[in-house]
Parts: sequence; structure tokens; C-alpha cells
Amino acid sequence: MKNIILSVVAFLFLVSNSFAGDGNKYGKDLRLKEKTKISAILAAPNGYVGKKVQVEGNVVGVCEKRGCWIELASDKPFQKIKIKVKDGEIVFPMEEKGKKAVVEGEVYEIKMTKEQALAAAENEAKEHGKKFDPTSITGPVTLYQIKGLGAVIK
Amino acid sequence: MFKWRKWVRILHRDFGYVAAGLTVVYAISGIAVNHTQDWNPNYSIEKSTMKIDPVPDSLLTSETLITDILAKVGEKGKLKSFFLPDSNTINIFVDGNTISVNLKKGEISQEKITSRAVIRETNFLHLNSPKKIWTFVADLFAIALAFLAISGLFMIKGKNGIKGRGAWLTAIGVFIPIIFLLFYYYKLL
Repeated sequence: MKNIILSVVAFLFLVSNSFAGDGNKYGKDLRLKEKTKISAILAAPNGYVGKKVQVEGNVVGVCEKRGCWIELASDKPFQKIKIKVKDGEIVFPMEEKGKKAVVEGEVYEIKMTKEQALAAAENEAKEHGKKFDPTSITGPVTLYQIKGLGAVIK
Repeated sequence: MFKWRKWVRILHRDFGYVAAGLTVVYAISGIAVNHTQDWNPNYSIEKSTMKIDPVPDSLLTSETLITDILAKVGEKGKLKSFFLPDSNTINIFVDGNTISVNLKKGEISQEKITSRAVIRETNFLHLNSPKKIWTFVADLFAIALAFLAISGLFMIKGKNGIKGRGAWLTAIGVFIPIIFLLFYYYKLL
């Protein structure tokens, strides 16, 4: 019986090791050969909507509850872009905050009415424990995000 | 004559032994992720604020700005990177801590994260974060649970078996999810 148990444990160890990833790899393999600057996407987002891009930047935000999004800093100051992944499909640990990430995904837009934008901003402020300023939203808002498919974070 | 009940008991017993460890893992994580509205099942997050003197404009581009701030908050963790969300704010990322500083107002907020030991690991497995071969292990475990549930129904003969008391208890177990589905999903009741 002991031999059976040891064999099962050894098998599982070997198999799980052979399938183990690099630790910082999430989702699908990165395939694109060229990187797109985040600042370029933010400067002319309409030209990128629906297109697959590979972007690079430091992780400056991680979804606290589900690890279902990260925010990457742009190559230009004061800019960032959100990478949203399917809930549960990829889970980004909070320890990745501050590290450099290379992410592939598809750019998409979210159009919100003023009311929707107000509700979203209020929710975000609540989530981050910050004061909500309703005057910060003056009209309808269009957000540009990346639907993340794969990422490598170092 | 083939004694099927004897084999059901043997298999139920041995599958049960193998499944015990994983069942505990799934049970712990099940409770943890059941309450995500009320807590973060993976991390303990400690938020705090403090005040410092506003940073003069002349020091905003200082090379020692970050080290000065880290010294002021007593942070000795490894610096990972920093980010400027706007012209007045700097976010500094250190191992296990994010320090956000409003330089003009001298307001510092910190967010220290600590991984919840054991619970985070059980969530990692329960929510199939590893993917890969763990998916097959989890599928096998699910099949084993189904076997344990069904074989459990037929282990005992007599008035306490599935033809007696067992039938009533099994019926209660089946009706519990059905009643909740009628209430919450179909909204019929």
C-alpha cells in the first residue's frame, strides 16, 4: 500500500511539475511581435478599437477582490490603461502591483451616459475609499480598455 | 451471488479516504469565497493615512523624493516602481505596500496587503487558478464526490436505508436547492 501511495505522489509531482508555468505567465501565450505604446492607443483610441495589441507598462492597479483587472502605466506620465480579463479565467495576484507587465489583448470601448458614468465613478471611489466628486463627470464618457488575453509579469 | 452492496461499501470507504483532504480544501475555500461581499478572501488589506509637510515644488523632481517619503513612513520593503497619476500625486510600490502621496497637501495613504495563509492557497485550488493538469484532478474529484453521494444512498439496508428514513432525508436534500431556485431564480414563490 505504501508503494502505491508513494507512486501516486511521485506521479502527481512529476506531472504537475512538467505542466507548471513560469509563475508570472497568465492566460494565453503572447504571440504579437510588435509592441504598441499605451500613449499611442490613448492618443487615437478609435484607430485601435477591435484590434489586438501588445502593450508594456508597470502594473499600477490590481482588482482587489477578484484579480480580474490590472492597470498599466503608460509610457507617458499621468496616463494608464485598464486591462480587463474574463472573471476567473485569469486571476492577477495583488503582489503583481508595481512590476513590469507585457499584455496582449483587444482594445474595446465602453460608452456611458452621464448617469452611468456618475454611478461608475461613485462605485470606484467607494471601492478605493476615496471621496466622490460628482462635478468630475460633466457628460457622457467613453472609456477605452483592453480585453486581456495573455500576460507576462516580471 | 455477487454482493454488490459489499463492493459499494468498499469503494465508498476508499474513495472517501482519498477525497477527504480535497473535501476539506474545497470546504474552507467554499466558505471563504461565499462571503466576498464582506471580505477579501485572499488578502488582508490594511489602509492607513498620515500627514507630512507639503513637498515644495523645488523638490518634486528630486532624486531622493521617493527615499525621503519611504523614510518618513518607515517603509523598508523593496522598492518595485512608482507612478504619477497626476501632477500632484505619486504612487510608490513597495513589496506588500502601496504608498500614495499627495505632494501638495502632504497627505499619505498606505495600503498594506498580507496574504491570508491557508485560505488563499485553498482558494487557488478551489477556483482552479492553476488550470493545466489541476483541471483534471478537480474533475476527478467532482466525479468522486458524485460517486460518494450516490453510493452513500445504497450502503445501508433496512428501515434506515434508502427505502426508509434515508428516502426522506434524501428528499429534503434534493428539495433544499429546488426551493431556493424557485424563490431566487424563477421567482415563482
